[in-house]
Amino acid sequence: MAVLNPVTKAQLRRFCSVKRGFWSLVIILILMFISFFAEVFINSRALVVYYQGAFYFPTYADMIPGKTFGLDYSYETNYRELKQKMDREGGTGFVVMPPVPYDPYENDLRLNEYPPFPPSFSHRHFLGTDNVGRDVLARLVYGFRTAILFSLGLLFLNYTVGISLGCAMGYFGGKFDLFFQRIIEIWSNIPFLYVIIIVSSIVVPSFMVLILIMAFFGWISITWVMRTMTYREKEREYILAVRSLGASHLRIIFRHIIPNTISVIVTYAPFAISGGIVALTSLDYLGFGLPAPTPSWGELLSQGWQNMEAWWISAAVVSALVVTLMTVTFIGEGIREAFDPRRHTVYE
Amino acid sequence: MTAYFIRRLILVIPTFIGITIMVFTITRFVPGGPIERIIAETRAMQMGEQGGRSKARAGQGQPLSDDQIKKLEAYYGFDKPVLQSYGIWLLKVLKGDLGRSTRYQDPVWDMVKARIPISLYFGVLSMVVIYGVCIPLGMAKAVRHNSGFDNITSAVIFTGYAIPGWVAGVIMLVIFASRMDLVPLGGLASDYFADMTLWEKIKDVAWHTLMPLLSYVIGAFTVMTLLMKNTLMDNLAADYVRTAIAKGLSFKQAIFRHALRNSLIPIATSFGNNISILLMGSFLIEKVFNIDGMGLLGYESILDRDYPVVMGILVISSLLFMVGNILSDVCVAIVDPRVRFK
Repeated sequence: MAVLNPVTKAQLRRFCSVKRGFWSLVIILILMFISFFAEVFINSRALVVYYQGAFYFPTYADMIPGKTFGLDYSYETNYRELKQKMDREGGTGFVVMPPVPYDPYENDLRLNEYPPFPPSFSHRHFLGTDNVGRDVLARLVYGFRTAILFSLGLLFLNYTVGISLGCAMGYFGGKFDLFFQRIIEIWSNIPFLYVIIIVSSIVVPSFMVLILIMAFFGWISITWVMRTMTYREKEREYILAVRSLGASHLRIIFRHIIPNTISVIVTYAPFAISGGIVALTSLDYLGFGLPAPTPSWGELLSQGWQNMEAWWISAAVVSALVVTLMTVTFIGEGIREAFDPRRHTVYE
Repeated sequence: MTAYFIRRLILVIPTFIGITIMVFTITRFVPGGPIERIIAETRAMQMGEQGGRSKARAGQGQPLSDDQIKKLEAYYGFDKPVLQSYGIWLLKVLKGDLGRSTRYQDPVWDMVKARIPISLYFGVLSMVVIYGVCIPLGMAKAVRHNSGFDNITSAVIFTGYAIPGWVAGVIMLVIFASRMDLVPLGGLASDYFADMTLWEKIKDVAWHTLMPLLSYVIGAFTVMTLLMKNTLMDNLAADYVRTAIAKGLSFKQAIFRHALRNSLIPIATSFGNNISILLMGSFLIEKVFNIDGMGLLGYESILDRDYPVVMGILVISSLLFMVGNILSDVCVAIVDPRVRFK
């Protein structure tokens, strides 16, 4: 088992000893936890409703029509109004709202006022609203969920293609290698934005489509790295030894070469994730990313750029971006430190 | 070795053809090309003339006759099969003619030529700043490895690495241009540029350059500084530096006379790859700051489906990219005589 391997243990210990990387990992895990259960923290649905002796938990349930709570409509209950009504009437009923009682899609419109509204604690818009009155904090958190899932999916696809192709190129070499080198050279020169624009002019890019397009261009760098690593590893004596023992190509690749190059693959992963987040944000900023109402950081950034008076929009999204990317980068730095400890001589 | 580089140069040709033929084919099969735009514009014009009364009819009908469309296709070269018109295009490019923009009717080369100085200006400036900061900083960090100085500068440059340049540009615009009104919102010169004295002109351009330049360089410090630091540290640990110190050289002399020279090898070799960045710029930063450089030209030509411009920029950028790759290998060979290419 890889976990029990003493080398792996030592690497884990070393990673935890790099304080900056370790605490970054803790922070990013907390952020991911919050965003994956964002419905509990940021939602227009109530957490708990106690009405006429019965408890309701609308967060993850089906929508509950207003009639259930004695309101005069059968569409989804507006829990903020329900709470005000129940507070006014007193009695035993109560509503517990999440800390931020808005969902990322709803426009909080008011009479005689025009969004964007600045941050305010009384309205529970802790980071204000955007140009059409949607809560910035809600869109940030839900956008984070989209971005991190996007990057993880992209990472998985890129690594699957990159590792298998790079390994094959490095291992078999020769004409195969030369052919794919040319393919890669051509590939990396196609203007990637161009293809995105073309695809988005034919279909509206959904989450999966966008991941596929990005993976279409993202496999190159990891393939290149894998190729070089395999090339180097292939020449080692131990590979010659297993081959003379009669091991098959598949066995050599999967049992010997990949485990020995895994450190490089792992080291690149955090940087690939931050790259994915930046790519999605840039595309959304330009308007070629996910379709319109999807909460995204890039869209918030472009709102902030268009509406510089509303400083809270760009300030919120840039700080979120900086914190996320920094923690991810620090994790990457820590992993590199753990896998490749450089002990250096210093003269006095 | 010469044979190796000649082979590399010859390999540029199939790659170049591969790249251009792929993009050329794509341009053929994408909706929204120049003919469709003309049709849409004519339709809009007719609708404007006839008013709302015949809107439904004008929207459905084809505003141009088949004959007119055929003429347009012939004008833009869409009437021939893809490979044939690709061949015509390639021959023209070999003669140095990149064609005319379908949008502005200007020769593509003139449009590109007008943008090159702007992108080159930012490219050269940021190169100077990056090398000027990274080499001394990397040296200082290597000598004081694991000290407070090392840790703090590491945190700072990693922060810079984490923020994409254009995002830094947006936030700088919001803070310094919009809220504090210290610097201009974008562009490269003020409105009254023509009336200024030389000194004012220099000051004005510098003022406009400051923030885009910062956005360009902010992410580039990290890689270069760490490269410099790590190679210098490797060299400091090498036997020849120990020998140098053992025979009585001071630490400073050992660094400057021996270790530094060898540590500059990887820095020098990365120079070739910079050519394409130098000239092409970054369209995101140019868009944020409204700078009319090569990056923005490429971006807008893609948006406008201005195919001759797209192809022209592709020709220039892919050639620069490939030549830059070869050039950096040449640099490796020149700087480091141990390297042998086969």
